[in-house]
Amino acid sequence: MANDAPTFRSLVTHFTDFLTVAIHTILYERNIYPRTSFLSARKYNFAVRQSRHPKVCEWINDAMAAVETEILKGTVERVAVVVYNQALKPTERYLFDLSRFPIVGAADADVPLERKAADGTTVSVLPVVDIEEQFRATMSKLANCGTVLRPPPVDGTFTVAIELKSDGQAPVSHPQPWMPVEAATRQGATELQSRRTHPLRAVVAGDLMFESWIEETPAAD
Amino acid sequence: MAQDYAEYLAINVLNEQQLISYRSLSRALKVHVNLAKQMLYEFHRKQNAKKPGSVHATYLITGIRREQTPAQTNGVHSQKDGEDTVMQSSPPLPESSAPVPEESAEEPVVVRSVLLVKEEHLAQAKTTFESITGIHIYSLQANGLNDVQSLTECNRKIAVDYASEDPLVAWKQYGTIQNPNVKRRTARKGPPPAAPVTKPAEVKLKQPAPAAKSTVPEKQASKDSNTNSQDSTTAASKRASKPPSAKATPEPTKKPAAVKRQDSNIFMSFAKGKTKPQKEESQSSVEAATPAAEPEDETMAGFSDEEDDAAEEGAVADVGEVANEPEGKSKRQREAELEAMMDQEDEVMEDASPEKSADGDEGAIDKPNSQHPQQPAKDTIIVENGRRRGRRRVMKKKTVKDEDGYLVTKEEQAWESFSEEEPPPKKIKAQPAASTNKSAAAKKDGKPGQGNIMSFFGKK
Repeated sequence: MANDAPTFRSLVTHFTDFLTVAIHTILYERNIYPRTSFLSARKYNFAVRQSRHPKVCEWINDAMAAVETEILKGTVERVAVVVYNQALKPTERYLFDLSRFPIVGAADADVPLERKAADGTTVSVLPVVDIEEQFRATMSKLANCGTVLRPPPVDGTFTVAIELKSDGQAPVSHPQPWMPVEAATRQGATELQSRRTHPLRAVVAGDLMFESWIEETPAAD
Repeated sequence: MAQDYAEYLAINVLNEQQLISYRSLSRALKVHVNLAKQMLYEFHRKQNAKKPGSVHATYLITGIRREQTPAQTNGVHSQKDGEDTVMQSSPPLPESSAPVPEESAEEPVVVRSVLLVKEEHLAQAKTTFESITGIHIYSLQANGLNDVQSLTECNRKIAVDYASEDPLVAWKQYGTIQNPNVKRRTARKGPPPAAPVTKPAEVKLKQPAPAAKSTVPEKQASKDSNTNSQDSTTAASKRASKPPSAKATPEPTKKPAAVKRQDSNIFMSFAKGKTKPQKEESQSSVEAATPAAEPEDETMAGFSDEEDDAAEEGAVADVGEVANEPEGKSKRQREAELEAMMDQEDEVMEDASPEKSADGDEGAIDKPNSQHPQQPAKDTIIVENGRRRGRRRVMKKKTVKDEDGYLVTKEEQAWESFSEEEPPPKKIKAQPAASTNKSAAAKKDGKPGQGNIMSFFGKK
């Protein structure tokens, strides 16, 4: 997948591909859609689940396209996949922290990247084999996350959210793919304390660096 | 050794929360798989005695199942293609890897089933069996297993980590089932000659190509002696009149190739006699080695290798590689031979055109196709803001009047700068189209000639 010279855009594409697979897996594991609507596919040399419903796939692809646009602008700090219960209260969040992504201006998105180590040798910016391995490890952890988390909510739903950096510009444009949401609701002190966090994996492959973890909100009423 | 396994399992299963199958345990500790199964059982028992529920197991049951009611078996679709394993609609039922039992009431076929069961479903699964021939622990994991599919990861890791071990040596230690008649193949003697470029012959040759490698050198020796010994057209026409036979064995597949070649020889014989030996010579050079590594072929094979990456599919990739190589190599040889032809005198050109058309449309197809492997290697593309600009090599035709007053059309390569409007296709939608893309690509590779033939007839 990597061309002879990886660009920032290809880095982001790798990441959004991975996010797509992760979302499909989360949908499967948390029973958001019936398990019979998933088929087995193969990604990164690993058996993964993919939804068969065309609307679901379309929604996820559109969401990933929007996320990619935002990441290319360099304003995204975290991407979260939030699972809600029937009362539309979030029960768990799957977070991907992108703050370690290289900061590349929007105009340079297609410039080939190169990294030189301290002694001047060229270090690979996007080692494909490494990436595959790390993604595979993250997927396998994600696939087994269902066993450590509480049982998933019945009739739950999900969405994708992004948290912007403090200096980022909110993506309000026409047509508007993102809905602005108040961040204040997450700041309740007691809530923070009783929230359980499960680390997933910190992926480090060349310049593609991100961390992932799962946050569970305290047992709901 | 007894302490090792407990330690190893404690580290991997409890601390690192990995999935350990009996196979990976046996490879890691270098013990027989039966011993590994026992180790897994012991560890499972001890840990659960200390702290119940700390370690979960999946079991493998082999045996003969009871007759299942039709309602249940409807849920098990045929698992012929690995892509779409339909899960049973009622989750409590254990997941089955058994072949679909034949429903014909006339002759009840005894079906031996192999079942992978999570420990929660063990008792229930046992009741569905009429007789159990074997039962053992397949894998251990710290928390429950959500998706049985994740067990495939264990085998993939084994294939990767222990690829250096020679299975013919290691099988005794690990206890893999071994066929006593198996022996390693010796290296093939020298690169066998490549097939000629005509595409139908190509396609037929692909299948027996791996098997026919050893017979091809012998065939080649006989063919060379045949073509070089005499140059009477009668012999050529005799060979040409042999009908193309079926493609079951390697020998007949050479005949259609021979027929095509002899066809061209007939037309060449209408030319002055001196062109014929040269043509035959170039043809024997065309039949040069298949596996001679060429950079173009490596890249082509490389693409097919990239697609299927796993070690299990090494065999498939090998066949694909072998199949790609004769095609690429002979295209280049064909091009070299055409260039050689062009360097000859004019009369050759006139006979070459009926010869080319007689060869079928493969002639026209091969030339533009032969350019394609070269083009990407040589043009420079600059991607700028989603537009592709750059210079590339293009075949341009030049019509020149000769000393004898004949118009000669030559194809030459020239540089041309181009710019494309559309941005390079984004790869976001890889997921749902992954499986269909693979099959579509495979189909396209199988019939390149047909697509180009239709373009030959113009737009309709």
